[in-house]
Amino acid sequence: MNTILVNGDPLEWKDGMTVRDVLTLKRFTFPMLVITVNDNIIDRKRYDTALIPNDASVKVVHLMSGG
Amino acid sequence: MRQLRIDMGKCDAGRTCQHECEEACAIKVFKLDSPEHAALHIRELADGTGQAILCDQCGDCVVVCPADALRRNKMGAVVLDKELCVGCYTCIGFCEKGIFERNPEWLVPFKCISCGICVKACPHAALEIVDVPQPEYRII
Amino acid sequence: MSSHTTETDYPKFQRCEVDFTQRTEYLDGLEAMKAAHKVLKEWTFKPSLPQQGYTNRTLYLNVGTLEVKEKAVTQQMKDMFIGGRGFGMWYLWNAITPKTKWNDPENEIIITPGPISGITQYPGSGKSLVVALSPETEIPIDSNVGGYFGPLLKFSGYDSLEIQGKAEQDLIVFIDGQKGLLRIEEAPAEPLDSHVLAEILTRMYAENDADRVNISVVSSGAAAEHSLIGMLNFSWFDKRRGCIRLKQAGRGGIGTIFRNKKIKALVIRGPEVKGDMNHPVDQETIAKTGIKLHQELRSNDPVQCLMRRNGTAHIIEIMDAYDLLPTHNFQYGSHPEVHKIASYVWDQRCTQRTTDGCWYGCSMACAKGADGVVLQTGPYKGHRVTVDGPEYENAAGLGSNCGVFDPEFLLELNFYCDTYGICTITYGTLCAFVMECYQRGILNKERTGGLEMTWGNALDDLAMMHQMAQGEGFGKIAGLGVKRMKALFIANGWGDAALINDIGMENKGLEYSQYMSKESLAQQGGYALTNKGPQHDEAWLIFMDMVNKQLPTFEDKAEALYYFPLWRTWFGLYGWCKLPWNDVAPSDNAKTAEPTKIPEHVQNYLDIVSAMTGKKITSEDMLRQSARVYNFQRIFNIRMGKGLRLHDHAPYRSQGPVTKEEYESRIERYEKELRDQVGVDPTTMSLEEKMAATRKYRIDRYEKLVDAVYTRRGWTLDGVPTQARIQELGLDIFPELVEIVKAHGG
Ligand code: SF4
Ligand code: SF4
Ligand code: SF4
Ligand code: SF4
Repeated sequence: MNTILVNGDPLEWKDGMTVRDVLTLKRFTFPMLVITVNDNIIDRKRYDTALIPNDASVKVVHLMSGG
Repeated sequence: MRQLRIDMGKCDAGRTCQHECEEACAIKVFKLDSPEHAALHIRELADGTGQAILCDQCGDCVVVCPADALRRNKMGAVVLDKELCVGCYTCIGFCEKGIFERNPEWLVPFKCISCGICVKACPHAALEIVDVPQPEYRII
Repeated sequence: MSSHTTETDYPKFQRCEVDFTQRTEYLDGLEAMKAAHKVLKEWTFKPSLPQQGYTNRTLYLNVGTLEVKEKAVTQQMKDMFIGGRGFGMWYLWNAITPKTKWNDPENEIIITPGPISGITQYPGSGKSLVVALSPETEIPIDSNVGGYFGPLLKFSGYDSLEIQGKAEQDLIVFIDGQKGLLRIEEAPAEPLDSHVLAEILTRMYAENDADRVNISVVSSGAAAEHSLIGMLNFSWFDKRRGCIRLKQAGRGGIGTIFRNKKIKALVIRGPEVKGDMNHPVDQETIAKTGIKLHQELRSNDPVQCLMRRNGTAHIIEIMDAYDLLPTHNFQYGSHPEVHKIASYVWDQRCTQRTTDGCWYGCSMACAKGADGVVLQTGPYKGHRVTVDGPEYENAAGLGSNCGVFDPEFLLELNFYCDTYGICTITYGTLCAFVMECYQRGILNKERTGGLEMTWGNALDDLAMMHQMAQGEGFGKIAGLGVKRMKALFIANGWGDAALINDIGMENKGLEYSQYMSKESLAQQGGYALTNKGPQHDEAWLIFMDMVNKQLPTFEDKAEALYYFPLWRTWFGLYGWCKLPWNDVAPSDNAKTAEPTKIPEHVQNYLDIVSAMTGKKITSEDMLRQSARVYNFQRIFNIRMGKGLRLHDHAPYRSQGPVTKEEYESRIERYEKELRDQVGVDPTTMSLEEKMAATRKYRIDRYEKLVDAVYTRRGWTLDGVPTQARIQELGLDIFPELVEIVKAHGG
């Protein structure tokens, strides 16, 4: 199965998929994110390059903001 | 606009001098006997070279000061009006060169005013005051 | 989710190069207005500066009897209530009885900065809390507000200002903290509207041009007089623009009380501000902590929230992208026209060459202002003004929630709310309710007296607001707020009572603020399980709950609804602004154990408080300090005949889809929920059956959440703090509290 979990929800995995691709697919446009791929923190600078392995568990934690 | 410049080819970062620049600035400009309270710093690096931390009068601190305590003087140098300063240190935090500083004994911070006292004090003539165009107002 | 629009999808807005020093002047006749003042009372005091954050006295003022006196701040007050909202609640408790109504003379308006208010080094340290018995909710309200009044009050010598009584003629109270003089003056001539009044009074009471920064004015406006949604403006003088700016104590109708007391304005003239006037035990720690945050803002704000450029408006398009932007009275979460009011519009429209902190040293500088706005309607038509804002709440409430997507009209609505002295959030939600009633035939042109309240009709929206300021027409009815409009429409037989109750977005009598809680159970609690009513300043959990899925169980949600309201209460005890806590984050925040709490910033706050008072405090102390005031306020609500489970009921619009269109707009989500959570097969059900099943499921879950939250908070299942809980907090030293909880089974 080519799937990853993003905050617990399944998403189709593709070869060469980056963190940025996940953000785009999920429309996560918020700037204050903490992202982990299989519990490893991905720095903001690596969003475009960090590859996501098949079966990965990706957590995109949105911090609070506003109001 | 008056701007302090350094020629790192000439400055030997204290290997043969006594950091006369910092000393003169601290004593004559700020009336303090401690060179760490000068408005310029010359650091000796391990590889034998030096690093100068100078104010280039970029004006970023003028932009962020909420009390309008920072103004350019007639020569274009950024000067602080102690009466107006509310001691918020926004200027310190927003100075990219890290040369807007404070002395824990004082409420108001201090900065270089391109006066040239350090220039005269340097035994190697490494420092100079130049006249350059005033930079555009930057929105930070 | 909606299709998200980004800046690049649309042609770049031209930066409008308006001259931010130019605006309509209002100083004609100043001398005549001044000459018309009649001094009713003069009183002298000895100005003093705080020591370790406290001046240790407060000022009491009765505008009816003209009594003025000082009260000592006791050690018990400091221990139990800290300052700010805590002091406010304590004074209000002592001033009123369970029978007091909002317009009785004994109701008070208490303005209290906290022990750290006035620090200039740490961003967001200039807040005042305003506390009163609300005309909208009939329970205590608290509002956190910027502007210079609070810190200048403190530096004049007082930890709080308590105002009681009712005057017969319009008054101005002038407190001169340089000279130690308080004057109550009859002031018949000045106009009420804040953008004029604060400008005039700043000039009138400043001794010279340089003195203007030492003046702050508290005022309201014409609409506060004729509605229950009045707000207070707190001013400061913006040197760069050369005009006054305004910050709002918005929620709950405090401006209405102000005008009911016939107070035209409070004016303070404080001493010149310096960097150590709170006299902390350890100035050095505060200085270093402040510089650290300035540096963080300089390096991180441009890649994080752009608060310095857009203020809170930066989340408009984000809320839209996450289907969370309240649209058409909270029916939907996004709108195709949102790009017209998105943050990049405000980035261009707001002046960027200014400093925009609502107190010195706030380098987050979110108090943006749009200059050169030429008004198109109303009594100031044709005037060129500076509009404070728009903040996110204004753009969402006055904008998308009412279907208004024209930025110039949005600025005008924002402007008139401010100058008329009404709360933008409240107005936005009530106008959205009116528009939906209009859409559904509950209202029509005849019932509104000719106003065509269709979505996005900004002109009639403004006309309704002008009526509110005049105290006439349908505007006067709208000014009663959603709760009273609902009752009136139902009583008039104008529509189905169940529908009206479902779509009227209020709880406890207060209108919801501008976030969509429909798909986040935790946020439904974050709104309805508040002390004062549905404002997001207790707990904003939508991302944690709905997007991050960090709160899967009822217990997790209850824990968040325990921690965050206490944490947020703490800001109000000390006089802090919430924004620098989490609208910027340290670069290594991601590596911390609980990134959503921003642990380094929490530590900054604890360090500063410890440095101020000399008493080291921990995060456990913090929770305890807040829990005391939080539970005190809950019991206060009970004392006023509210504060029980039935008052924590939420309108169904905040919990799920009320109408078929709403259901269909998110059909996938709802059917998945029916299949996976409810365990029924939606393909065999009619739309009505599916909606009913969804509703039953959601309300049931909300009730379970309430059980879990009350339990975590140490309350009975009826929402009453237990005796054990109040003993644990040391609140049992007040016998009346014990009696109240006992009488209610606590
Ligand atoms: S500038 Fe001159 S005095 Fe200063 S460190 Fe260099 S050589 Fe020495
Ligand atoms: S102190 Fe820093 S910000 Fe100010 S002019 Fe000098 S270099 Fe620029
Ligand atoms: S410390 Fe003084 S000079 Fe620096 S930004 Fe604050 S008010 Fe301006
Ligand atoms: S130019 Fe003057 S103020 Fe600046 S570093 Fe030299 S001596 Fe100090």
